[in-house]
Amino acid sequence: MLAPIFFFLAFFYGYPTLSNLYNSFTDLSLLGLKRGGEFIGLRNYVELLSSRDFYRVFWNTLFWLTAVSVVLRLVLGLALALLLNSMTLRRWRLATVSRLLLLVPWATPPIVAVVVWRWLLDGRQGFVNGALQGLGLIDRPIAFLANVDVVWPSIVTIIVWNTLPLVTLTFLAGLQSVPPELEEAAEMDGAGAVQRFFHVTLPHLMPTVVVMALLLVFWTFNNFVYVWLATGAGPGLFTNVLATEIYIKGFIDFELGYSSSVGMVMAALMAVLGLVYFRFVALREFREIL
Amino acid sequence: MSRDANQAVATPEGNPDPQPVSIRRNPLTTAVILAATFVVWTFLVFPAVWIFVGSFKTNETMFSATAFTFTLENYATIFRVGFGRFIFNSLFICLVAVVISTFVSVIASYVFSRKRFRRKRLLFGAVILGQLFPWIILVTPLFIMFARIGLLNSHAGMIFSYVAISIPFSVYLLVGYLETVPRELDEAAVMDGCSQFRIIWTIIFPVMLPGIVATATYAFLLMWTEFLFALAFLTRTSLKTMPLGLAQFFGEQSIDWGAIMAASAVTTLPALVLFLPLQTKLSAGLTAGSVKG
Repeated sequence: MLAPIFFFLAFFYGYPTLSNLYNSFTDLSLLGLKRGGEFIGLRNYVELLSSRDFYRVFWNTLFWLTAVSVVLRLVLGLALALLLNSMTLRRWRLATVSRLLLLVPWATPPIVAVVVWRWLLDGRQGFVNGALQGLGLIDRPIAFLANVDVVWPSIVTIIVWNTLPLVTLTFLAGLQSVPPELEEAAEMDGAGAVQRFFHVTLPHLMPTVVVMALLLVFWTFNNFVYVWLATGAGPGLFTNVLATEIYIKGFIDFELGYSSSVGMVMAALMAVLGLVYFRFVALREFREIL
Repeated sequence: MSRDANQAVATPEGNPDPQPVSIRRNPLTTAVILAATFVVWTFLVFPAVWIFVGSFKTNETMFSATAFTFTLENYATIFRVGFGRFIFNSLFICLVAVVISTFVSVIASYVFSRKRFRRKRLLFGAVILGQLFPWIILVTPLFIMFARIGLLNSHAGMIFSYVAISIPFSVYLLVGYLETVPRELDEAAVMDGCSQFRIIWTIIFPVMLPGIVATATYAFLLMWTEFLFALAFLTRTSLKTMPLGLAQFFGEQSIDWGAIMAASAVTTLPALVLFLPLQTKLSAGLTAGSVKG
């Protein structure tokens, strides 16, 4: 009875992963699929590890795509959750409508999110340029997605807009599970708002934050859509990340063997992270549901 | 998805009780909080609203914040250049894939939830880890595999892929849901000598229906907006799905923003309509994989 799902899983995840491992030791080309590739040992890996471009791609993925966007979402998500949970918003009866509006970016498909932001950030007449010029903050329009100084912050903005709601709602629920007695007790003891946050609220929220961080890293590190649709890895290859590198090397440069070796590097990194997740999160959970 | 995060996502709708924490009515603080709220609202909603507003604007007024000339021309354009075909392809692939993936996942979740067998946790773990598997790594080897067995440029290949990407979280969600269904229900049927499939069909399926609908909806949304596999496996225009059709409007020379906004609106609307009711009763782990791509 488990055969159907394992049929799909084996031929979709299992066999391709193994065949990718083998291909990474060959010079397989997209033009010579029928002929197959020659076995060339570790040459792809040597080429990859000795290429300066690869380290730049790696840095882009690790720092800009993942680290910056994940930290930003955690911080903003927490701030937004605190805002939505504040007494002021409740008193003004704005908490519910805020939560509802929060669902809007989340329900927007990533591909559409990128499209609309490309329009907002358009380098000639986009809304953001218009607004900044209207406020007198800039003289000439900025090509947000083509200028190397601002292209990464622009991509990160798109990612944050699309995925911040999920982080916020998760943290908001975490906040609402903080026992009120704890906060009251802290207040009786004369703790200010800041102290209460760092000594009561944040420690209570920490497990949620850690799990969220781990999941965000998983989702973002491997992500292809945001960068590819926003800039196509450009200008030039300035915003190239591992996911787009795999696609470009395989389907534009036709070097499937090399592309596979990039994939294996990525798989290795994800496997380490996967083990951490499995060990500290998933196992505990299985005990509860199996 | 962790237990903590799950419950976290599940509760905000259901816990409206204000906590009696420090009520100080400092007008300055209030003003700052309200101002921040409106800034946040604008940031959240403005881009999405513009998809719909822009889709009814002419290309001349597309970039103007004030000028607005109502037109349906953009919608006419996208259907003239064959967007209807993409909609049909997407609907066909996604609906077939949802039915298959839900069917096999319901059976598997019953087995994982009710049966005892060796290496159960390991197998379950293998299924669940599929949720975290980087799709981009699979694109190249799957492309080669599909090329060799003739599944490139075929809806069958896409259906296979979409079933496979939704199985891990479907099984996970359904197992979680089955835990809320009393075991006595189906154990009694086992005593009576009912066959496995009869138990699943006549007992499990009806009580699980809300969970199945939520899971299937979620799977549909995931497939509906999937871009990467479609990009790699579908190159023939007549077979392409909506996300590809949408991306196609970004031409080399010019960008028809009106058409893009109309196509975006058509892509987003079903997502909104399906997502909002789903979110209100969002249960365990529905968030897992939602930002993959």
